[in-house]
Amino acid sequence: MSKIVTLQQSIMAEDEKFAASIREANRKRGLLMVNIIGSPGCGKTTLLERTAKESGLSFAVIEGDLATNRDAERLDVLGIPVVQVNTHGGCHLEANVVEKAMETLPLDSLDILFVENVGNLVCPAEFDLGEDFKAAVLSAPEGADKPLKYPYLFSSSKIVLLTKTDLLPYLPFDMKMFTDDVKSLNPEAPVLYLNGLTGEGFGGWTDFLKDRIKEKKADAR
Amino acid sequence: MHEVSLAESIAAALLQMQEEHRWKSVVEVRLRIGALRQVFPDILSFAFNTVTRSTALEGARLVVEDVPLSFRCRDCGTSWQEETVLCPSCGSIHRETVAGMELDIESVEVEE
Repeated sequence: MSKIVTLQQSIMAEDEKFAASIREANRKRGLLMVNIIGSPGCGKTTLLERTAKESGLSFAVIEGDLATNRDAERLDVLGIPVVQVNTHGGCHLEANVVEKAMETLPLDSLDILFVENVGNLVCPAEFDLGEDFKAAVLSAPEGADKPLKYPYLFSSSKIVLLTKTDLLPYLPFDMKMFTDDVKSLNPEAPVLYLNGLTGEGFGGWTDFLKDRIKEKKADAR
Repeated sequence: MHEVSLAESIAAALLQMQEEHRWKSVVEVRLRIGALRQVFPDILSFAFNTVTRSTALEGARLVVEDVPLSFRCRDCGTSWQEETVLCPSCGSIHRETVAGMELDIESVEVEE
C-alpha cells in the first residue's frame, strides 16, 4: 500500500547538522568564519595573501580545490596556517569535510577562519559550512553581468568584492549595471572594489572584517 | 552541475529515511525549490535517476514545485513579489527575502 509522508525538510538537512555543529563550536570560541566564493582565477588566494599583509589579523585558511596544493603553498610561505582539501572533481566543499579539516588548525588563537571554496559560482553557495557569512568575489574581467546570472550567491552573501580593479580602464565593464544588479539582489550588502596587487581598497575590507570579529567576540562572552 | 550535488543530497537523505522506516520503495518525491536557486527540473530529474540507479530509490519520480520570489519590508511589514530594491509602500531598503530561497523535500509517496 502506498502512502504520502510529509517531510518538509531541507534537501541539505544532513549537511546542515555538521554546519550547525561548526557554528556552535565557533560561537563558543568567538571565532569568525568566512566562506569565500568566486570563479576559478577571480583572485581568491590573492585576496587572502593581501589580507594577511594589510590587516595584521591572525587567520587560518581551509583551501578547497579539485587538485594540487598550489594555493596552500602560496599561503604557507606567508606563515598562514592552512589545510588543503582536494575534492577530486567535487565542485564545492561540504561541512563534514570542513569540520575534519578544522581539527588540525590552531582555532583558539585565531581571529578568523577563512574557507576558500572551490572556484565556482553555483554549488559552493548552496552548501552551508557553518560560516558566519559568505563573501562573493567577482573579478572585473569576468563581466558585470554575473550577479544576475548567479543570483543565489550574490543574494546570500553578506559582502560583494570586485577584484582586479586595475584592469577596469581596459575592460567594457558596466559599473552602473553591476552595482544596480547587486543592489537589486541584495540591497544591504556593501560592494567593495579591490586591487590585490597594490592593496588599493583593502582598508574597507579589513575594517569590515575587524567589525565582524568584534561582534563575534562580544557574543562569545 | 549543481543539480548533481542536489540530487546526491536528496538521495542520501531519502536512503537514510528509507532504512529507518523500512519503506519497500519510494514512488514519488515532491520538492519545493525557490526561484533564486536556478534549478532546472529536467536536469535535476536526470541527475536523480542517475545517482539512484541500483539503489533502493531506483524508479522514484521527482516532482518540483517552483516557489516564486517574495519580499517583506522589515520596517512597515508590506509584502511584495516583483523584484524591487525599495519597499513599494514606504521606500525602505530593509527588505527580507521570504520566499525564493527554498530547497526542501516537501513529501514522499512510499510503498510500505
